[in-house]
Amino acid sequence: MPAKKRTVRIGNWYKSDDEKVHFVRKRKAPRPAKLRKIVPGQVLILLSGRFQGKRVVFLKQLKSGLLLVTGPFKINGVPLKRVNSAYVIPTSTKVDVTGVNANQIDDDYFKRTQAQRRKNEQGFWAKRGELTAEQQTAEKTRLDGKRNTQKSVDAALITAIKKTQLLKQYLGARFTIGKTTRPHELVF
Amino acid sequence: MGLGKFVEVGRVVKINYGPQEGKLATIIEILNDKRVLIDGPTTGVQRQVIPIRRLTLTKFNLKGATRGARTGVITKAIKKNDPFTQYQNTIAAKKVAKKALRAKLTDFDRFRVMILRKRRSALLSTQLKALRKNNAGGKSAAQAKGGNKKK
Repeated sequence: MPAKKRTVRIGNWYKSDDEKVHFVRKRKAPRPAKLRKIVPGQVLILLSGRFQGKRVVFLKQLKSGLLLVTGPFKINGVPLKRVNSAYVIPTSTKVDVTGVNANQIDDDYFKRTQAQRRKNEQGFWAKRGELTAEQQTAEKTRLDGKRNTQKSVDAALITAIKKTQLLKQYLGARFTIGKTTRPHELVF
Repeated sequence: MGLGKFVEVGRVVKINYGPQEGKLATIIEILNDKRVLIDGPTTGVQRQVIPIRRLTLTKFNLKGATRGARTGVITKAIKKNDPFTQYQNTIAAKKVAKKALRAKLTDFDRFRVMILRKRRSALLSTQLKALRKNNAGGKSAAQAKGGNKKK
């Protein structure tokens, strides 16, 4: 009987010896971006995305390096949101955030849930009505939870904002550039 | 156009160019047709030679400044009669101060100025309407101004 041959499975792809590896990431987790002098309670102007030009209150920096901001939602419609500090102009206006508790919010708060991902898998044709009853109630509780967190975080913030005159209207307005404004000369 | 402002000893000048831009000083000595010696002990200008081209002449004179006077003499003369504060009260100086203040406004300040301007304008227009109604046909000279501050 012939000796059993040892076979090595060769897949469809194998590395050749002289293949250059261009970029090897040595660090496994991203390093959180260094925060230029942005302080909790500072008003920031968002520069990109759906809420461009909106003035929001900075709460804290998350572990991923992104900034956690909130409108507050009642004032300008911006919810608890993660924002890249590169797309933000910090202003010199500060709100007192000593009563605000955002400790329970971290990057996981913004993670997409299984149900959301499944929904996205079905893609374009998936409609809200097509969720099962179980999924719908799960969605509802999820959204209610989010609304409650939003409210609890914003409550102390709004009372602090109301103490300064015109600050509420200021946060409700968008930052705009007109024909004569020179952004490089503006003091924020 | 009369010849009002001369380059002379005691003339208060404003420096237009250079590291001392914007500061006031007095002419102490005229060196030639292009350069003068200036000094501004109370305005932070060191005694120095400067081309006339870098100065604007103001309409003020420092009384008691003599040719080549030393800084101490100049300081005494300023204590007696200060033309520098007189200059700060002119419209030109106030415009410069206003411009400087506006440049320093923060984003929130600019927003507040905008709101106050709108309020003032609304007050003015209601007053004007009321006056026009009362003086049908006549142009009223007196307009009550709102009490709002404008920066």
